Amino acid sequence: MQAAAIELDSVRKVYGAGAAATVALNDVRLTIEPGRIATLIGPSGCGKSTLLRLVAGLEPADAGSVRVHGVAPEEACAAKLIGFVPQTPALLPWLSVLKNVTLPQKINSGAAKRRERIGDLAERTRARAGVGGGGVPDMRELLRKVGLGDAVDKLPSQLSGGMQQRAAIVRAFGLRPDVLLMDEPFSALDEFTRESLQDQLLDLWSEESTTVLFVTHNIAEAVRLSDTVVVMAPSPGRIVESVDIGLPRPRDQRVFEERGFHDYEDLIREKLYSAWRSPDAA
Amino acid sequence: MRRRVPLGWIRPAIWLPLPVVLAIGGGLWQWGAHSLPYLLPPLSWVFDSLSGHLSYYLRNAGTTLGEAVAGLGMSFVAAFILAVLISEVPVVRRAVMPIAVVLNVTPLVAIAPVLVVAFGFGPAPKVIITALFCFFPILINTAIGLRSVPPPMMQVYQTMKASRLELLVHLRIPTALPFLFAALRIVTPLSITGAVVAELTASGSVGGLGSVISVAASMNQLAVVYAAIFILAVLGVLLMLIVTFAERRALRWHESSADRAN
Repeated sequence: MQAAAIELDSVRKVYGAGAAATVALNDVRLTIEPGRIATLIGPSGCGKSTLLRLVAGLEPADAGSVRVHGVAPEEACAAKLIGFVPQTPALLPWLSVLKNVTLPQKINSGAAKRRERIGDLAERTRARAGVGGGGVPDMRELLRKVGLGDAVDKLPSQLSGGMQQRAAIVRAFGLRPDVLLMDEPFSALDEFTRESLQDQLLDLWSEESTTVLFVTHNIAEAVRLSDTVVVMAPSPGRIVESVDIGLPRPRDQRVFEERGFHDYEDLIREKLYSAWRSPDAA
Repeated sequence: MRRRVPLGWIRPAIWLPLPVVLAIGGGLWQWGAHSLPYLLPPLSWVFDSLSGHLSYYLRNAGTTLGEAVAGLGMSFVAAFILAVLISEVPVVRRAVMPIAVVLNVTPLVAIAPVLVVAFGFGPAPKVIITALFCFFPILINTAIGLRSVPPPMMQVYQTMKASRLELLVHLRIPTALPFLFAALRIVTPLSITGAVVAELTASGSVGGLGSVISVAASMNQLAVVYAAIFILAVLGVLLMLIVTFAERRALRWHESSADRAN
């Protein structure tokens, strides 16, 4: 049987202790099937970034279980199942763009073996059959595809913020991750750049069919990208509702003009605001 | 920014201030030498001493430079290794860092006489004193630099389970390089100071500009003292030039990101 790409059960995370303790996440249950894009949306303090860090294995949960393809996050990291795109591009300023995106392939070289040992490899590979095999992708080609063909030998500081973030996305895709975790990757960009980066993310995703968990506070972005929008609320951080987005794919920029798109936007806005107005007593 | 400077040299506002100050300083010096001949030798005497005994000065400068560079090199290697240990092993950090901070503010000049007693008048105490002078700034700066990788950068590589060695080589050491060069800029002049202090302390030393100064001063040959001081300044400038050049080469990425921030 195929395990869910991401599965959280009764997850709780508390920062601090005693009276100063903040419940960042309370009783969170979430299942994301392989190959889907799920977005976490909510106001600041709702624990969406915390949830992402738990899945990335950067922090342990205080209670409950977090599984990535049936294994603990640390194990998934050790097998390089996870690609992580933080809010800032976090490229290494001393390396050219090309070296920045190829370095991860040289890191943790024992990961390939561990990857084979994780149960549902066959299904995962079949799910992406026809996508250039399972080998190492040509990073120059990937960079060219996102419009960085002329920038391969430049230093990150010579690129605009949008181009840097593109390189960061290529770096994550270059690992052919089973799960791609993105923490508000476009929030620092202007609207035009953001929409064109959404295009490119969707393009890369349609070829790789990676599972994506995407954190944002932008409703339009969430609706456009997602199969599922997970609405969260703060104090304590919790999931309010999951909304499945039934818009057809591929979703190019014309999706913004569709009636259905705005209906989803309104629905999610309404859920965000009602959760905001009536803080859960739990 | 550096590219604009060569053109700027055409304009008097750029090149004139320095010669003016030098001329005024020289004039004041000559006036002082005229009225207080026992305190200041005329510049021409200093120049005569330099040109007349150039090989003597160069030989002693070589001795001092050798001690400075040897001490700097030794402390660079030792401080770098210890900084890596401090950054990687918390126990070592807790044991060493407090001592390092205290020793960094201790006037190490005070140790010089003890070392001379222990190691005699040869080069050993000079190299050791120089190394001590240079050690703690390099250690503290590098240890801080190794810990200064921005968290998002760290997280990207942690989610790939990069080993500690990989994190050290690919993230920590490159991040620490600007800190290391900042330390070298502090420590390079200190290395010459260290060598000269050691030579002054070991008053029977056979060589080095420090002993040239102490011998000449005791015989009231002020022209020789100032000539030696002039050579020491030149040595310091040369060493700083080397550090600056190395920094430009190694930190081209850093400079370009700094340019962008401005």
